[in-house]
Amino acid sequence: MKHIVKILTLVVAITVLWVGLLQTSIIPCSHTWLLPVYFVVSLGCYGLLMVGVGLMNFPTCPQEAVLLHKDIVEAKEYLKLKGVDVSSSYLL
Amino acid sequence: MELADRAVGFLLSFISLSIFIYYTFWVIILPFVDDDHFVHKYFLPQEYAILIPVSAGVALLCFLCIFIGFVMLKSKKKKA
Repeated sequence: MKHIVKILTLVVAITVLWVGLLQTSIIPCSHTWLLPVYFVVSLGCYGLLMVGVGLMNFPTCPQEAVLLHKDIVEAKEYLKLKGVDVSSSYLL
Repeated sequence: MELADRAVGFLLSFISLSIFIYYTFWVIILPFVDDDHFVHKYFLPQEYAILIPVSAGVALLCFLCIFIGFVMLKSKKKKA
């Protein structure tokens, strides 16, 4: 809930700034009209950058994978002893 | 596999950063540069700065809608 308030405040501030620029026309009008498009493009770039950074720093844990594999084999053997059928292929 | 992921991530960040820098130059800084400056050779006219993002957004939206439609069709076929 707090996050959305922050984002909405930012959006309102940017809109007010933009309308002010449009009204006072310090910069030529055609350039002021470019500003929303610029914000959308920068938002897209930010999203792409975050995805790229997340993909670059994606944590992988090979030791845990080996341990999990061992656990699966152990559990399968245990269940086979108890007479439960776990031969379906989706586990491994 | 891990290296490929890392390379894709680096590529994505690089592309987004370069697009951001180029677009910032194009939209924010270029209006304050003289019209006969040599930098203007490297940029398209100003109206393309709106045209390209809008067309890219429309293309993306179309692709998304087509994809969602395909997924819905597929799930309906599975149910039947």
